[in-house]
Amino acid sequence: MTAPTRPPGGSGSRDPFFHPALFYGTDEEYTGGVGAFVRGALEDGHRPLVAVPGRRLALLRDALGDAREEITWVDMARAGRNPGRILSMLQEFADRHRAASARVSIVGEPIWVGRTPAEAREATRHEALINLAFAGRPAGILCPYDTALPGDVLAQAYRTHPVVGAPGAYLASSRYADPHDVCRDCDVPLPEPAEAVVVPFGEGDLARTRDEAERWAAAAGLPPARRPDWLLAVSEATSNSVRHGGGRGTLRMWRTGRELVAEVRDRGVLADPLTGRRRPDPRATTGGRGVWIMHELCDLVEIRAAAEGLVLRLHLGLE
Amino acid sequence: MVPETAAPLPRGPAAHRHRDVVFSDDREWARHLCAFVRGGLDQGEQVQYFADTTDPEKVLRTLVDAGIDAVAAQSAGQLHVSTAARTYLTGAVFDPDAMIGLWHEAVEAAAGRGHRGLRAIGEMSWCVRDVAGADRLLEYELRIHDEVFDRLPLTAWCFYDRRLVPDARVNVLAGAHVTHQGSPVPEPVLRVTPLADRPGFLLAGSAGHDTRDVVAAVAAALRGAGAPRLELDMSRLRHLDAASLAALAGAAAQRPPGAPVRLRVGPAPLRRLLELFPELGSAVEVVER
Repeated sequence: MTAPTRPPGGSGSRDPFFHPALFYGTDEEYTGGVGAFVRGALEDGHRPLVAVPGRRLALLRDALGDAREEITWVDMARAGRNPGRILSMLQEFADRHRAASARVSIVGEPIWVGRTPAEAREATRHEALINLAFAGRPAGILCPYDTALPGDVLAQAYRTHPVVGAPGAYLASSRYADPHDVCRDCDVPLPEPAEAVVVPFGEGDLARTRDEAERWAAAAGLPPARRPDWLLAVSEATSNSVRHGGGRGTLRMWRTGRELVAEVRDRGVLADPLTGRRRPDPRATTGGRGVWIMHELCDLVEIRAAAEGLVLRLHLGLE
Repeated sequence: MVPETAAPLPRGPAAHRHRDVVFSDDREWARHLCAFVRGGLDQGEQVQYFADTTDPEKVLRTLVDAGIDAVAAQSAGQLHVSTAARTYLTGAVFDPDAMIGLWHEAVEAAAGRGHRGLRAIGEMSWCVRDVAGADRLLEYELRIHDEVFDRLPLTAWCFYDRRLVPDARVNVLAGAHVTHQGSPVPEPVLRVTPLADRPGFLLAGSAGHDTRDVVAAVAAALRGAGAPRLELDMSRLRHLDAASLAALAGAAAQRPPGAPVRLRVGPAPLRRLLELFPELGSAVEVVER
């Protein structure tokens, strides 16, 4: 299934892009594997980014001792709550550090025990898209996977990482798949809500639709602090329908136990799977801001492209 | 009818001297017309009427029928009735900067002929026809509060005939005046009004893709406004999308070097956007409401 390949550190690389999955079962395996990668990067003069869930941050900080000052630490549970915004963060870090060092080293753990199946699916899509976004770039991105994760999630890691393994033994993954195929496989049908508020809209109804979305979210219990996120995301989605999705669309809104969902359907297409995965220049007149903004503001974004058009679901937690 | 002493009239607030007048029939039109012209002639001001679709003869006949000696006033040079097409729209394009210059010249000329001030009526229905530059009318209405009425002894009423200008357009253009007269005007989705007490503009309502033309006009007014210090008051906005903020911030950045535009923030979505795109706040001075 696998064949031996390169060491985990950033040095001595022949291929410019190195994207291994590290499987761990214990804290020791975690600190050993991630620590080796980070120390290798530091020895090469890089200042790595470590984006892992909060509890693991503390573990790594302790394990790395004084070296921790050289590292950019990010709590992935917060920054990467929506998997769709992680890639933008990684690319921004890589762009920022390109001038300082020839190579960029990142630890990114986008899936942890407790992720919902929908989140894990979008995180798998994110892992596949890393391979497109960083292809040919001098970067190493190590992705730790807890072996306590469901088997189907772990199986996907073999498809999204060119190399996989455990500390000291990274091997080429024979199950590695074309990122486009992985994305297609992630496009599973979305479950239908039991009931939803339906708001058809065209350009002349955009303001009314915004107002209705805002009123509905307040009545449905969305905390005031999250309402700007909801309104901005719905506004971008409905505007995109008018601009790129055939001039009109349908907004549906419903509440589940823990979150509010806004769905926008239109006649649009999404040709580039990397749309919205890189921070745009907000002043650019060419647009391209909408999907990125939705990813930044929502807790989960699901996009399904079908023959009959585009379906976009925005999830915001109620807590 | 020109008084012997042509001392300039004391200027009232600019907000009162520049009004939109909205009507939907000839009777309302005549009532506003006659009151305005009579007041000007009685005070020794020169009165100019710039018609669009109305026959100038009908204007004079209506004044005469109301007991106003329009013929004598015309002979004395105190009343001019012409058309926009023969005056300020004779150029290749409607240009707010050129128009502002024309007002300064017209006020000076009226004073030079011994009039105590200048008042004017403009029929604005040409804005819905294929007139080059007609899309800049909102920018013009926004700028002239400070660049004309705050500086000149001019009183002008902008006539908006609901029979000729679609409601949505009337609502936005009428909203660009601090003082409204005539039939009620519903609040547009996005209303922009000159600030009454300092150079700048107030945005109220909800700004999105559907209001991009209004935002583009505000951006043009920001770029073109001559005041060294401008304020953009967004405290009455309920919503602002990223494209609108980018357009306004871009316009602020294109102003000549000097004091930055003061951005008075209010709505939470605007604050959130500035968190996402702090560079959009770099060319403005952000102040709390």
